[in-house]
Amino acid sequence: MQRIGVIGTGSIAAVHLDGWRCMPGIELVGYYDIVPEAADRAAQRYGGRVFATLDELFDAVDIVDICSPGTAHKENVLAAAAAGKSIICEKPLARHLADAVEMVETCERLGVPLFPAQVVRFFPMYSRVKERIDAGAIGKPAVYRSARCGSFPRPGRDFSAPYYADFNQSGGVVLDVAVHDIDFARWCCGEVERVFARGLTFAGKEFHDHALITLRFVSGAIGHIEVSWSHPRTTFRTRVEVAGDSGLMEWDSLDRPPLLAEMYNDQQGFQRMGSSPTADEDEPYYAELAHFVDVIEGRATPRVTARDGLEAVRVALAAIESMRTGQPVAMQDFGG
Amino acid sequence: MTDQLVRIGFLGVAHLHSVSYANSLLALAGVEVVGIWDRSENLAADWSARLGVRHFASVESLLAEGLDAVVVCSENIAHRPLVEQAAGRVKAILCEKPIATTMEDAHAMIACCRAANTRLQIAFPVRFAPSVVELKRQLDAGLLGEILTLNCTNHGSMPGGWFIDPALAGGGAVLDHTVHVIDVLRWLWRVEVTEVYAEIGDSLLHPDLGIDDAGLLSFTLSNGVYGTLDTSWSRPSSYPIWGDVKLEILGERGVVYADTLHQYVTVASNAAGKTQWAGYGSDMDRGLIADFIDMVRSGRHPSITGEDGLAAMEVALAAYASARSRQPVKLPIS
Repeated sequence: MQRIGVIGTGSIAAVHLDGWRCMPGIELVGYYDIVPEAADRAAQRYGGRVFATLDELFDAVDIVDICSPGTAHKENVLAAAAAGKSIICEKPLARHLADAVEMVETCERLGVPLFPAQVVRFFPMYSRVKERIDAGAIGKPAVYRSARCGSFPRPGRDFSAPYYADFNQSGGVVLDVAVHDIDFARWCCGEVERVFARGLTFAGKEFHDHALITLRFVSGAIGHIEVSWSHPRTTFRTRVEVAGDSGLMEWDSLDRPPLLAEMYNDQQGFQRMGSSPTADEDEPYYAELAHFVDVIEGRATPRVTARDGLEAVRVALAAIESMRTGQPVAMQDFGG
Repeated sequence: MTDQLVRIGFLGVAHLHSVSYANSLLALAGVEVVGIWDRSENLAADWSARLGVRHFASVESLLAEGLDAVVVCSENIAHRPLVEQAAGRVKAILCEKPIATTMEDAHAMIACCRAANTRLQIAFPVRFAPSVVELKRQLDAGLLGEILTLNCTNHGSMPGGWFIDPALAGGGAVLDHTVHVIDVLRWLWRVEVTEVYAEIGDSLLHPDLGIDDAGLLSFTLSNGVYGTLDTSWSRPSSYPIWGDVKLEILGERGVVYADTLHQYVTVASNAAGKTQWAGYGSDMDRGLIADFIDMVRSGRHPSITGEDGLAAMEVALAAYASARSRQPVKLPIS
């Protein structure tokens, strides 16, 4: 039995809590949030208690699940590590590379497991792509492409929007979103050698952020990642494609879902509703959290490590640097 | 006007598009395909038998027939000598893309045709794909508002043959597949590429190929828009179609996904050993050829000029220079 404490009870915490709530073998003990009312709401909805301080929470739990904004990750992780707790930390690990390094090295020194919640490795279509690569279906990966395109997190629409909208806090769409694709690309193609990026991050366009990132991997493979907070709100579009020297794999969220309903609504209008349901245990966030519990209890080796979290941040920051300077960035020399 | 007979010859048929161009020409009223020449007699004989067109032993003997126009579909490296030989002997030349393999050759071809009063057109059929024509109409109507960025692909299968011989092709996937999309972008917004950065892979998808088969170009346009283009020959032989031409265009008001070949019937055939996408989209080569013949007859300027061909090729050459130097390269490079 693992006792879970959640730090930060905003939008991503709700997704974690939906998973924790139905997971066998765990006890959802309670919450800490610098906004006590937010923690109260979580307790009312998911059960458990509200802790007034981090130390009280640490005393009552085995695993600390950090869902606070990225700017608070470092302080939360260092405190949990000092308390000797197993740590799950939302992505990106940190806003700045030096902070991410300190977090990872501290946890390693103290022997505390630190799992970055880079959930794309647990999305079933992505894990299938990786599995088929490992099985040799496409040969050696050569050209990687992926995209993750949504709308700008507008203030007033989403509780956390002011945080995302502030580049100094969130790092914009590249640090907040591209870490997912960078992490998955590294999983498929290995370490990144060089990064070049163009985007809107420094274009001064209100309610827009977007980037086209070009990668060269140490293996010789090349890669392309599009991330957007400039797409219309109608769809959140993701896609992935990996071409190897003996085959190709591709998946696109624009393809037809398994369940698609088209119908009239009560306002004489028209409604289109697509969904791709999974069994509870295959829901990506559930699968991710359950995997971390399995690792902590010795039943699995980690699919994603603290070092993976650190490198995803490092490559993302290099892409931001490239956007800023207009020049490619060699990863070997890049220290944030 | 439409009854005026237009007499056409082919100088080089090594490029696969020559068959499609010939079929479009043969289907047009008032057009006669007088004959073909190719440096390979075997290819010329085979092509001649398949299409029922005479083949000639020399370029000179074909030109001596008194042609109105020629179509140059040779290996890339031979575009310049064939265009130079035909200039002044015909009213117009349709030259397969890329126009050439060096800036010097392209400039020489344009200058030679201008001096000889022969009109030079480059074959960029994608401008005539109905979905691209409709895309231009939507963009011209301001559908997306201000354009922000472009994510484009022109993927293909590895073509083999002379396409992978650097001495005949002058470049691999990047030269082959940069020019179509760049031409469309120049045409959509009357812009030029001002800077390009590229990561290029030699023999990356096809071990020991000996030429570039993968390329990612990151560019900026003169209107401030930035974008990327994937030119890779990344469609394996087991893929249901040879490749794609896709433009994802993001603007202030939304996004358009243009997938010009996405008009197909899915065919699962045990005989083929794989599932195939049988395209039913309108033949873009037909539009290109009809436009060219109209130009020959009417005496108007070509819709796609030698300068258009040069500008598109220049982006590919800049991409190679960028990959060599690992730096962004500014255009024009000439």
